[in-house]
Amino acid sequence: MSESQENVLEMRDVAVHFGGRGGFFGSSGAVVKAVNGVDLDIRKAETVALVGESGCGKSTLSNTIVGLQTPVSGSVKISGEEVVGADSRKLNDIRRKVQMIFQDPALSLDPRSTIGATIGEPLLVRGIARGKALKERVGELLTQVGLRAEHADRYPHQFSGGQRQRVVIARALALEPDLLICDEPVSALDVSVRAQILNLLVALQKRMGVSYLFVSHDLSVVRHICDRVVVMYLGRFVEIAERDTFFANPKHPYTRALMSAVPEADPAVQRSKQRFVLQGELPSPANIPSGCAFHTRCPLATEICSTVRPELTPRPDGALVACHHA
Amino acid sequence: MNTAASPLLSVDNLTVEIGGANVVDGVSFDVAPGKVMALVGESGCGKSLTSYALLGLLPDAARRTAGTVRLQDRDLTALSERQLRKARGKEISIIFQEPSASLDPLTTVGAQIAAAYQTHNNVSRSEAYDRARQMLADVGIPDPDRRLHQYPFELSGGMCQRIMISIALICSPQVLVADEPTTALDVTIQAQILDLMKKLVADRGTSIVIITHDMGVVADIADDVAVMYAGRIAEIAPVQSLFDDPKHPYTALLLASVPKLHHAPKTDLATIEGRVPTLSEFGAGCRFADRCPLATEKCRIEQPPLFDCGGGHRSACWHIDRMPEIRKVAA
Repeated sequence: MSESQENVLEMRDVAVHFGGRGGFFGSSGAVVKAVNGVDLDIRKAETVALVGESGCGKSTLSNTIVGLQTPVSGSVKISGEEVVGADSRKLNDIRRKVQMIFQDPALSLDPRSTIGATIGEPLLVRGIARGKALKERVGELLTQVGLRAEHADRYPHQFSGGQRQRVVIARALALEPDLLICDEPVSALDVSVRAQILNLLVALQKRMGVSYLFVSHDLSVVRHICDRVVVMYLGRFVEIAERDTFFANPKHPYTRALMSAVPEADPAVQRSKQRFVLQGELPSPANIPSGCAFHTRCPLATEICSTVRPELTPRPDGALVACHHA
Repeated sequence: MNTAASPLLSVDNLTVEIGGANVVDGVSFDVAPGKVMALVGESGCGKSLTSYALLGLLPDAARRTAGTVRLQDRDLTALSERQLRKARGKEISIIFQEPSASLDPLTTVGAQIAAAYQTHNNVSRSEAYDRARQMLADVGIPDPDRRLHQYPFELSGGMCQRIMISIALICSPQVLVADEPTTALDVTIQAQILDLMKKLVADRGTSIVIITHDMGVVADIADDVAVMYAGRIAEIAPVQSLFDDPKHPYTALLLASVPKLHHAPKTDLATIEGRVPTLSEFGAGCRFADRCPLATEKCRIEQPPLFDCGGGHRSACWHIDRMPEIRKVAA
């Protein structure tokens, strides 16, 4: 992956570990290696999907990018500026460029603030706008996400789930970030509303050139909205590929298992599709299996898989895959 | 329905009221032995209340005001609470979305499964544990002897849902009601649980009423589907017929809003404008009328009955003949 001005995010060999340092009585606890040496670039106006099961490290990775989590090693650059080790003033400045939206909009909004106050807060805190200018900017942001300027005086409870997610998006866009991290942004929404929010995210990207890191487990949504897909398993990336390559020719056995596990909304397709069912469940990240972390559940595993960890290697079609047998 | 066999479970005109509004309004469906009926809809459509009403488990605020739930030749709604308690677990069981919230955290899972068996069978503790062990093996839990003595917190979410299924099925009920049984689980675990439920249907002939909002789950497991909207059944049909040829605008738009293989990426998906009406906004006509591209004056005034479209397919829409217009919107 080449360094370039166009990358809004550049991560190199990032690792985030928890626990293990002594504990209360000085005994050493187990180290949870939530993220374990990942490289990731995101280009301008690109959407990258991060896919994996609960406990695979997706949320830790997202938190690390926005600086809510400090890596034990590695480098994270947002629009060319290093996040790791930056002083708080610098960090504050960098954070403007990356914003985050979460799964449940009801939990991300202050029930006692009008949505106008909520959306305007980042602008006010950073001294970008106040008074009449602030009000105008808030109205503009509301219009951008498909709400109306006069909604500014209402409270979150007066909106439906989909409208609340629009408010959250408006707040995230207030500082005109380069990168928006969307952590399962439509999973808590009803199906019909989901489509509205996806359409909105696509339209905003076309208009503003914002990049997305889209954390999701829903592959039909990923296929619709993303340019590139990254699959994560127990703290490492196991497959990275452009969307079309990824869906036409998934290679890692875990990727194939995920794809066959997601039910297609078409009975004929769903019932005739080749199943690639996984045995067992995700091992604890405090006790990651040796060699390839996936070998305990992998139908293709052989001797070498339990001893030698496969590196991400490029394939003829451009995909990067970490597997001895794929 | 399209099945020749007489139904095992027959729900007729089920109506549940909360604060004067019919949140479940005249719901009727049949489930044949060994078949899976899916109730689909978005939040607030009444699908969960319908499932609770089947077992007489409605919350205090809700009241069943009409309708019957016949299990074979017995009307469950006519039973006393005492009789109902005997039927629950033995003839009809229910599992919920969040297994860890349904299990007792202070009791081993073995004791919980055994208790379910002992409630309905006069057997010794050790015999009940033997049954529990066998049941754990049946639901695919490795090393059942060890698992019997563990507490729910020691088990993963998928494992807990298997325990819930064990408790629900240990007395071999004829009907299992599953309220969003896989929503809280990861997709690979969801696939395992759906496979397990299909296996149970095949091996034991258990009928399932599954409540879900996920069209993928419906496509995977259901034989028949009832699409609910604002407390009423909008459309009911055999699964393939519903996906291939929806006869209600709501179903068609709902299906179109899910991204499919043939959709070009990053293009607009079909959406349903507006929102579900609240209880106080239920009008006299079709409850979908305000959001429906086909709605006419008649839709707002008069409630459409479920029209028979043949092949077990029924739809509550005045404008079934105009469905091609919807397909244009949804394409």
